[in-house]
Amino acid sequence: MTDILAAAEGVSKRFRHTPDFAERLAIRLGAAAEPATVHALDGVDLHIHRGEVVGLVGESGCGKSTLGRVIAGMLQPSEGRITRQGQDIRALRGADARKMRLATQIIFQDPMSSLNPRKRVSEIIGEAPRVHGLIPRREVRAEVGKLLATVGLDPTMADRYPHQFSGGQRQRIGIARALAVNPDFLICDESIAALDVSIQAQVINLFMDLRRQFNLTLLFISHDLSVVRHISDRVVIMYLGRVVEISPADTVFDAPRHPYTAALLEEIPRLDRRGRRFTAIKGEIPSPVNPPSGCHFHPRCPHAFDRCRLERPALKQVGAGQDVACHLNDGNGLIDTPSRQGE
Amino acid sequence: MTLLEVSELKTWFETPAGTVKAVDGVSFSLAKGEIIGLVGESGSGKSITGFSILGLVDPPGKVVGGSIRFNGEDLRAASEERLRALRGDRIAMIFQDPMMTLNPVLSIGTQMVETVQAHRRMSRADARAKARDALGRVGIPRPEERLDAYPHEFSGGMRQRVAIATALLHEPDLIIADEPTTALDVTIQSQILSEVQGLAAEMGMGLIWISHDLGVVAGLADRIAVMYAGRIVEEGPRDDVLDAPRHPYTSGLVASAPIANERGKPLRQIRGSAPSALHRPEGCAFRPRCDHAGDLCLNDVPETCATPRRWRCFYPMGSS
Ligand SMILES: Nc1ncnc2c1ncn2[C@@H]1O[C@H](COP(=O)(O)OP(=O)(O)OP(=O)(O)O)[C@@H](O)[C@H]1O
Ligand SMILES: Nc1ncnc2c1ncn2[C@@H]1O[C@H](COP(=O)(O)OP(=O)(O)OP(=O)(O)O)[C@@H](O)[C@H]1O
Ligand code: SF4
Ligand code: SF4
Ligand SMILES: [Mg+2]
Ligand SMILES: [Mg+2]
Repeated sequence: MTDILAAAEGVSKRFRHTPDFAERLAIRLGAAAEPATVHALDGVDLHIHRGEVVGLVGESGCGKSTLGRVIAGMLQPSEGRITRQGQDIRALRGADARKMRLATQIIFQDPMSSLNPRKRVSEIIGEAPRVHGLIPRREVRAEVGKLLATVGLDPTMADRYPHQFSGGQRQRIGIARALAVNPDFLICDESIAALDVSIQAQVINLFMDLRRQFNLTLLFISHDLSVVRHISDRVVIMYLGRVVEISPADTVFDAPRHPYTAALLEEIPRLDRRGRRFTAIKGEIPSPVNPPSGCHFHPRCPHAFDRCRLERPALKQVGAGQDVACHLNDGNGLIDTPSRQGE
Repeated sequence: MTLLEVSELKTWFETPAGTVKAVDGVSFSLAKGEIIGLVGESGSGKSITGFSILGLVDPPGKVVGGSIRFNGEDLRAASEERLRALRGDRIAMIFQDPMMTLNPVLSIGTQMVETVQAHRRMSRADARAKARDALGRVGIPRPEERLDAYPHEFSGGMRQRVAIATALLHEPDLIIADEPTTALDVTIQSQILSEVQGLAAEMGMGLIWISHDLGVVAGLADRIAVMYAGRIVEEGPRDDVLDAPRHPYTSGLVASAPIANERGKPLRQIRGSAPSALHRPEGCAFRPRCDHAGDLCLNDVPETCATPRRWRCFYPMGSS
């Protein structure tokens, strides 16, 4: 058994729902009710092994970012706990707590809004290691140069400001800033979604390189299943605040066990799926304010039966490294689904 | 029959920092019932091409050259009044953010009835019936009831469907769709694609589908046009473009898709990044990123036509 670097145990997170612009307007005009509670995470268990790349996929609002932030210790779970090397992170104090915070770094989607526009790149990258006394002040500049080179940027650009870089370059600056504090765990939250296709490949390659070079553990959050499959060892699929399937990345396309995973695979746009007759699983993604009873997926599931409406399926191990939460076939989910590869 | 014929279109922006040649000599045509996918890097001019066709380019932008013929009519010569009559009636646009077309304080029904009555002399009851049918067509359940709902009562995917239903009210001949599913989830995207695809076939509409996702376009389009730095650098039937790209940029895009690479191996990538619209390289704008570049590439690249395909490259792929 490899050692577990980080784990979520029975983690739930509830928020007061924040209304969007149209809703706020409607509330002010008396056309809508006041906001309610959102179940962003609902009993999530996830173990991340040292050195592993775990991909986290699921549709908008299913709780991916919330899980990332909870695991990083930026958000307190409403229930359950997060452990780092077996220790509850809430029990950590002082130097230990600080060490844990630095060892886990999050890289966000929008490279522009997460970089201070008034600071030079050298300050952005050098600030944290200097403040935390990780490197002597005189060596900061050299270190920044080294980090820039590591992420494929010219070290002579250290004195420029973020707006003088392209989107892909800014994403690299964000990555260099995260690496500056010697993390062992990177959480990448939609880190490539805002980039042009031609730049996405560059940044994906960079993540794969860094992982090998620094022996990093990665939690790679994305809604793009083909990207996640490419870089991950294991893929975790979430639906409305719950983990519905965990699968080794090399088989996730071939043998999905959860009907939602199967539907996702069916629908992802792919270069090799030409002139398709698009079809779609029925229904909208329900609101996390008022999730369906039992299995959250039941209103859209073509296989749903009575039990699905009443009882939440538990996440059950169904094969080597594969877990599913579905009542079908006695808790084994879909079996004998034909391969969907190259359809 | 040719529905739309865009030829040598140029749309430039005069800015204090210089002239931004957002669209710089774009030509393509679209037949009735045909779907063309317009793909390319951010800033390559896809949206401005769409806006130019509709006569919706705001200053400091201006269409400075070329022609746009729609059903034979010269749109560049058309009056603002004539364009307004065409927009929302014969030509419709769908945007990435449906709230660009929806008014948050009016019910869906009120908005749709207004759109109907803007172009047709029709009683309120008839207009409402037309709106209800349009909602039903894009797969909105219980359309009669939903007419009284406000945009905030719909999910993002539903709002986009309402925007599409509104665009389809008058069964336009041409729809320009600017990344309308980019912000939506895969399963919802598929639902919308399936509806649009069905309707386009049923009504024989021409469709320009703007996207940066080659996968979407591969599934939807009959032909693909690839834009780079204000120009179409390659255009042709879908399978030709994807299976045997001639332009090195298209080839790089296709090769970098995860599906085209072995899992866990480095993806083939295009180096560098797109030039700023103000400082495009001399000659071929792709030159600094191109592995094929040779002496000729410092010159302006002419278009090579080999019907049904065309490209702009001195040393195209597959011709050693
Ligand atoms: N700070 C917050 N306050 C209120 N609600 C929140 C907050 N953060 C998240 N939520 C809600 O919790 C749910 C899960 O959100 P989260 O951002 O984790 O989803 P996600 O899977 O990352 O989605 P996306 O793919 O859109 O980024 C959503 O319904 C969201 O609106
Ligand atoms: N109002 C403006 N003033 C100056 N330049 C503009 C203006 N609007 C657009 N541009 C420029 O025109 C070029 C083309 O823009 P356009 O919006 O058509 O790109 P696009 O291909 O649709 O990109 P994206 O994929 O990001 O939507 C860009 O370089 C952009 O910066
Ligand atoms: S538990 Fe039932 S509803 Fe849920 S995915 Fe399985 S079969 Fe479908
Ligand atoms: S013209 Fe030259 S630089 Fe441009 S794409 Fe072709 S080979 Fe490359
Ligand atoms: Mg998120
Ligand atoms: Mg655009």
